[in-house]
Amino acid sequence: MNTVEEILDFAIDREQQAADFYSNLAERVSSAWMKDMLLGFSKEEMRHKGKLKSVKLGDKLLNADQHVQDLKIADYTVDVEPAEDISLQDALIVAMKREKAAYRLYSDMAANIDDPELKSLFLGLAQEEAKHKLYFEVQYDEQIMRDN
Amino acid sequence: MSLKDLISPFYVWQRAFEKPYTQKRPIEDRPGAPRYRGFHMNSEECIGCGTCESICQNHAIDMVPVEGLEQRAGDSGLRPRFDYGRCCWCALCVDICTTRSLHLSNHYAWVTEDPDAFHFTAGTDAMPWNQNSLGYRRDDDYHLLVHDRVEMQALSAEESVAGFDEVMRGYTEEEAVLEADRCVECGICVATCPAHMAIPDYIRTVRKGDYEAGLRLLYETNPFSSTCGRICTHRCETVCVMGYQGDPIAIRWLKRAIVDRVPQEKYREILGDEVEENGKTVGVIGAGPGGMSAAYYLRRQGYAVTVYEAQARAGGMLRYGVPSYRLPDNQLDKDLEYIRSLGVEMRFNTQVGRDIPFTQLLDEHDALFLAVGLNQPSALRIAGEEHPRVLSGLRVLDDVASGKDPGVGKRVAVIGGGNVAMDAARVSRRLGAEVDVLYRRRIEDMPADPEEIRESQAEGCTLVPQAIPVEIRNASDSNQVTIVWGEAEMVADDKGGRPRPVLQEDRMHEETYDCIIAAIGQGGQIDFIPAEFRDRIEFKWNKFVPGDYQQTGLEKLFVGGDIANSRADAISAIEDGHHAARGIHRFLSGALDG
Ligand SMILES: Cc1cc2nc3c(=O)[nH]c(=O)nc-3n(C[C@H](O)[C@H](O)[C@H](O)COP(=O)(O)OP(=O)(O)OC[C@H]3O[C@@H](n4cnc5c(N)ncnc54)[C@H](O)[C@@H]3O)c2cc1C
Ligand code: SF4
Ligand code: SF4
Repeated sequence: MNTVEEILDFAIDREQQAADFYSNLAERVSSAWMKDMLLGFSKEEMRHKGKLKSVKLGDKLLNADQHVQDLKIADYTVDVEPAEDISLQDALIVAMKREKAAYRLYSDMAANIDDPELKSLFLGLAQEEAKHKLYFEVQYDEQIMRDN
Repeated sequence: MSLKDLISPFYVWQRAFEKPYTQKRPIEDRPGAPRYRGFHMNSEECIGCGTCESICQNHAIDMVPVEGLEQRAGDSGLRPRFDYGRCCWCALCVDICTTRSLHLSNHYAWVTEDPDAFHFTAGTDAMPWNQNSLGYRRDDDYHLLVHDRVEMQALSAEESVAGFDEVMRGYTEEEAVLEADRCVECGICVATCPAHMAIPDYIRTVRKGDYEAGLRLLYETNPFSSTCGRICTHRCETVCVMGYQGDPIAIRWLKRAIVDRVPQEKYREILGDEVEENGKTVGVIGAGPGGMSAAYYLRRQGYAVTVYEAQARAGGMLRYGVPSYRLPDNQLDKDLEYIRSLGVEMRFNTQVGRDIPFTQLLDEHDALFLAVGLNQPSALRIAGEEHPRVLSGLRVLDDVASGKDPGVGKRVAVIGGGNVAMDAARVSRRLGAEVDVLYRRRIEDMPADPEEIRESQAEGCTLVPQAIPVEIRNASDSNQVTIVWGEAEMVADDKGGRPRPVLQEDRMHEETYDCIIAAIGQGGQIDFIPAEFRDRIEFKWNKFVPGDYQQTGLEKLFVGGDIANSRADAISAIEDGHHAARGIHRFLSGALDG
């Protein structure tokens, strides 16, 4: 991965994998609402993919130094398995942890590269993932910890 | 006739060229006295309660709609229109005004040739005196309204924590009448009550001591009046106009004042409920307030109603959640037994999805109403939560409601700030424990009823706000448990949501307790609706999103209560049940309204 093009293709591919992950899980669950929700997650990932595709065509990524709030919910929740009888709570945990892992990945890549253009691309991608994580953390705060 | 007589009229003409003796427009130069009762002014505090219209002895005021002003919670959208052909400037309207928005300017001259101009809407029509700062306002120490609520007798905090007796003791007849007397019958509260109960009308029955008429009014919209008279979230009181200058009317307590005076054996005769079977059947899933409210109104329409309930008794969270010191069992039973007496068939210990498939009910009944509530506690999902001394708030309350000892020990940490957390904390106090309530946000953000928060503090619970649990650890004593929590800073939500707590990792604390009660939230269990219906039913997260009359895209299925609304309180579930019953009647009979 040495060019902007290659890096973006990699990121686009990751979003597609995430979308597939949720739609595959949606196929396996037996209840109407859970299927609905997982397909919703999958759509969200496809939206991210769409965003990156438009970056490839010249749109801007999030600015690397723009502040994205970190609620740190993903940091202190335990790991859970994406099983067929997954609950809403666990699905949200899986989702925010996946976004957090992606954030880490791009941040690490940024730290290990010298080329300023590619560095800022990685940082921009990391910011995007931080924003996605925030979305799931906010949903977790609203839907799961409603009384807390 | 002499010549003098003939020409004398012309003498007056010489006066025509003299300076006039009268002033041309004397009023302009003579302002009214500072407290003169001139023309009406109304400020934007007005919420259109219409109390001015009621008190005006000359019928000089009409409440009228105003262009650009919408009706909203706590505001009728109407404003007083004055008829100066009738007004005698007595200022009673100013003295009674509940928001003190109405006053009189000291402007008293108004010259116009248009007779219709003397009708005007104060505060919204542009009048020359609208900026006038003088005139008549009610004196601070002069009141036509009684601002202080009649307090209800209650157990002291010490008496309360000594057992599970009902804390609030009810109004005496005399107290109820005094409180009812404070109501100005404006009706502003009605729109804010989720069930749109006939509040001023039933308050009037308390004043008159006509409890039978009161009961009939209550049952038009709410078959859980004994329950709601005790634990309703009383949203209506938040907009009561008497709250602007004093205490809002104790609407909830006055509802209770009615039901407390009518024995259940007399309900049938008073309410005159007769059931004429119509040959159609409706299945109800869940015997909480939502399901049982639907059952009542459907039965009144002649439907054969079967209620499927997973538990051994009816009442839902009102029985297994709300503790008896707030809602005694016999009061909940009073409501439920009357509903059941209309011939509702109850199938207890029948969990839809486990004991009977959802699709079977769909086939067997002409329509279904589903109100399964939220009975799945959210897990903490932090490291160590499988520790045996970590209990769920719902389980603790369920145990207490079923007469079992939940074994909370002597030192308890409750995690959460909602109803379940407050009740779990207060129950633990009653079981003899010292209680800390750890909550991630600020006290003012707690979703629990402010009264409950106050009462829990009075009973000795310690609230620890902005505390985020991060880990559960074994304590040195295996019967105890240690919690690690960190302090939170609140950050604003960019999208306008509630402020979010952010953990401060450099400010961590550790504390050991006999048990930790988790009460951070709960969700519904609706996995029994098969995936094949996904395209016909709308969901948002794990709740249903019903259409008109609580109907889903699966036409036979109507939904309501906590699993389908965002308010998650009893009165909203009751209203959903009523609304769905009307919807089902429309659906099955083609009638325009039920
Ligand atoms: C501790 C606590 C305190 C509260 N305090 C207040 C208060 O002070 N004021 C207030 O207004 N509200 C309060 N609430 C909220 C109130 O209890 C609920 O809003 C209300 O009970 C919701 O009614 P519902 O009919 O939707 O559901 P529920 O009352 O939850 O009833 C649902 C019923 O469905 C049954 N059920 C679930 N799944 C199935 C299935 N698959 N098959 C068959 N049956 C099933 C359940 O066993 C239950 O009986 C409190 C709640 C709790 C937990
Ligand atoms: S001043 Fe008296 S007469 Fe005139 S509108 Fe007010 S209450 Fe009626
Ligand atoms: S209870 Fe309050 S808002 Fe409702 S009618 Fe009486 S005074 Fe008006």
